[in-house]
Amino acid sequence: MIDVIIGLAPAMAAAGYYFRMHALILIAACVISCVAAEWLCNLIRKKPNSLDDFSAVVTGIILALSLPPSLPVWAAIIGSFFSITIGKMVFGGLGSNIFNPAMVGRTFLTVSFGVLMTSWTVPASIDPAMPAVAQENILDTRTQATPLAWSKLAIKNELGADIYSEKQFKATFTGEVGGCLGETSVIALLIGGLYLLIRRTINFHIPLAVLSATFVFAGIAYLIDSFAYVQPFFHLTSGGLLLCAFFIATDPVTAPLTRKGMWVFGIGVGVITMLIRIVGEYPEGVMFSVLLMNALTPLIDRFFKRIPAGGSPSI
Amino acid sequence: MNVSSRGRFTFSGGVHPPENKSLTCESQIQPGPEVKQVAVMLSQHIGAVCRPLIRKGDAVQAGQKIGDSDAFVSAPVHSPINGKVKEIALRSHAVLGRSLAIVIETDDEGPAKRPSFQVPADFDVSKYSAEQICEVVRKGGLVGMGGAGFPTRVKIEQDPRIPKDALIINGCECEPYITCDYRIMLEWTSQIIAGIKLAGKASGCSKVFIGIEDNKPQAIEIMSAALRDSGDADGIIAVPVKTKYPQGGERQLIKAILKKNVPPGGIPPMIGVVVLNVATTAAIAEAVVSNLPLTHRVVSVTGEAIAKPGNYYVPIGTSVEDLLEFCGLAPQKSAKVILGGPMMGIAIADLKTPITKTTNAVTVLMKEQIGSAKFARRQTPCIRCGRCLQACPENLNPTKIAHAVKNNLLDVAERYNIGTCIECGCCSYVCPANIEVTGYIKTGKIFLARQKQKMPR
Repeated sequence: MIDVIIGLAPAMAAAGYYFRMHALILIAACVISCVAAEWLCNLIRKKPNSLDDFSAVVTGIILALSLPPSLPVWAAIIGSFFSITIGKMVFGGLGSNIFNPAMVGRTFLTVSFGVLMTSWTVPASIDPAMPAVAQENILDTRTQATPLAWSKLAIKNELGADIYSEKQFKATFTGEVGGCLGETSVIALLIGGLYLLIRRTINFHIPLAVLSATFVFAGIAYLIDSFAYVQPFFHLTSGGLLLCAFFIATDPVTAPLTRKGMWVFGIGVGVITMLIRIVGEYPEGVMFSVLLMNALTPLIDRFFKRIPAGGSPSI
Repeated sequence: MNVSSRGRFTFSGGVHPPENKSLTCESQIQPGPEVKQVAVMLSQHIGAVCRPLIRKGDAVQAGQKIGDSDAFVSAPVHSPINGKVKEIALRSHAVLGRSLAIVIETDDEGPAKRPSFQVPADFDVSKYSAEQICEVVRKGGLVGMGGAGFPTRVKIEQDPRIPKDALIINGCECEPYITCDYRIMLEWTSQIIAGIKLAGKASGCSKVFIGIEDNKPQAIEIMSAALRDSGDADGIIAVPVKTKYPQGGERQLIKAILKKNVPPGGIPPMIGVVVLNVATTAAIAEAVVSNLPLTHRVVSVTGEAIAKPGNYYVPIGTSVEDLLEFCGLAPQKSAKVILGGPMMGIAIADLKTPITKTTNAVTVLMKEQIGSAKFARRQTPCIRCGRCLQACPENLNPTKIAHAVKNNLLDVAERYNIGTCIECGCCSYVCPANIEVTGYIKTGKIFLARQKQKMPR
C-alpha cells in the first residue's frame, strides 16, 4: 500500500502544481475523512483497528485525484465517507469489498451533485484565478474544458472531431488542461505507473489490456469516421484512463486473480470506457466501466480457473 | 546435456528462499550419538502400518525384522541395534500424531556405528536379476528417503501395463538448510552409482538422469567424473537443474528434465518414470550387495542455535532429543524444532519424537528467524494480490483453496483441485499478508480425507 502511495505521489505533485491549494485541500480532506471513516466503522463494529494497512489513505488519494478541482470540501468529505463505509466497510473491510471504494464514492458524488462534479476550472498555471471553464471556450486551445467533454461538444456542434493538434497533445502530456485533479498529467501518471510495475506491486496485464483495448476500439472508430471520432492517442492520454489503468483497475481486491481473467477484465474496462465515451452521453466512462467490471470479477474468476500442471483431474 | 547448460532445466512457479546450506555443507558424514534406546516407528512410510513381529521382553539383533505387513504398499521395519524390546508404545509421529513404536533398549556399549559400506571391486549389476533386486529392496524395508516415504519396491517394480523408461535420481535438495544428500553425493559417490545401476536394472529404465541443482557444482562435477571413470557416462547423465524451490519435488523434477507433466493426483510411474532420492539409491546398493536392511540414515542437524551442526549417520529410531543434545542445542536460543527443512518440514512439539526413514534433517530455528512471520507481524486480510498463484509450481489457486477451507466450503476447495497441492509452502512463503496458505490447504486435505473416511479421526 505504501508503494501505491509513492506511485501516486507524482500525480499528487502535478495536481498541486496545476490546481494549487484547491488540490492540496481536497487531497487532505479526502484522506483525513477516509481514515476517520474507517476508524469509526471499526469502532462501531468493535473490530481491531485496521488503519495500519494504509488502504484508507490510498482510497482517499485516489478519490481526491478523481474529483474536479472546484469541488467544495464538504462534498469531498461526503464522498470519502461514502467510499469507505458503503464501498468497503459494509462488505467486511479490506479484501472483502466487491467494488473499488474510491469509484463507489465518486459515482455517489456524480449522481448526487451532478453540476459540481462536471464543473471544470482551468489549471492555475494558465490563469491563477482558475475560472470555471465555459462552453464558449471550446475553440480556444489555451483555456479548455476537459479534453473529452470538449471533443464531445465539438462533435455535437458539428465542428468536427479533428481538433487534435500537437499543442493539445503536449498539454495533455504535461497536464495543462482542465480535468480531474490527478488525471491531467500523463507524465506524472506514467512515472507512478512505471514505479508500481518495477516494484511489482502491480503486474502489467491489466494496464496493458485496458490501454490496448481502448486504443484498438478508438482506432477502429477513427478509421471508420475520422470526422466524428477523435484520434486514438487522444483517448489514451485524456480523461481518467491512465489513472484507471495503473491505479484503479489494478486494485487487486476487485480485479480477477488469474492471468487470463486479468486480460478479460482489462479489455472489458477499456471497451466499456470507449463505449461510454463514444456512444454514451457522458464524456468520460472510466468510473462506470471499472465498477461494471468489478461486478463481473467473481464470474471471471470462476470462468477462467487455473488448470493444474498436467491438466484437470477427472473428479 | 553437460554442466555448462546452467538453468535450462526448470519448471514454472517456485520461489528462491535463502539457502543457509553453508552451516553444514562442509561437514563430513560422521557417526551420531551412542544411543541407549531407540523407538522404531511401525509406520515410517506411505501405506499400510506394520504389525509388530516381536513381543515385549524379546531380545533382538541389529538388522532383525521387527515389524511387517502383508499389504502391497508397505515396507517392513528392522531393529538398528542389538538389545531388548522394552515396550511397544505410542510415540509422537510428525505426520500421524501418536503412533505405535517398538522401543528397544540396547545392551552393548560399543561406539556408534560408522557408515562402513563399500562397493566391492567385483560389483557387477548383471549378477542380479530384476526380481531378485525388487525382493531384496522389499525385504530391506526401503522407502523413499527424500520425504514422502513411498515404498521403493512399489516404485521400481516393473509393470507390464505401463513400461518404465526413464529413471530420475533426485539430488536436487532444494530445501534450505539441508545438506545430507549433498554430502552423500560427495562421499558415497560409487555407492550411489551402484544403486542407480541396480534400480535401473530392476525397473527396466533405458534412460537415467541424475538431477542436481546448479548451486552444487561440486556434486555435479564429482558425479559426472565418477560416471566417466566407471564408463557409465553414456547411460547415466548428471543434469544440472535450475536452483529453485521446489525443484526437488518429483513432479517439478520430471517437468524440468523430461518436460512432461505427471497427471494431477497421479504418480510418476503412470507416465513411465521412476524418481528416486540419492539416499535411497545408496540404500539400495547397501541392501542388495551386503543384504543389509535400512536401519541407519544420514540426518542433517542444522540451524544457528546448534553448536555442532553437521551431517550425522544415526540409527533410525533415535529420538530428536538425543540427537540435539549430542549436537549441542542451546535451548534458550531455539524456538522451533522442525523435522525436515523450514519450507516443508513439520514442527514437532515433543522432542522424544524418533527419527524415521524419511527424516532428512532436524532444523532448529531461533525466535528471531521466525519472528517476522509469526510474532512481529500479524496476519492481515487477503487482498487477492495473486502472488501465491504465480509462485505455485502446480499452477493452482492457493488463496481460493485456503479461503474455501477457512470458510468450510470443502466442495469449493475440491473444485479448485485441492488434491493436487504438493504442500511445498511457496504460497505461504510469498504471502505478503502472512496468511498460512499451505496450512489451510493441509487442514482441508485432512478434513476431506476424514469425510471420505480414509483417515482415522
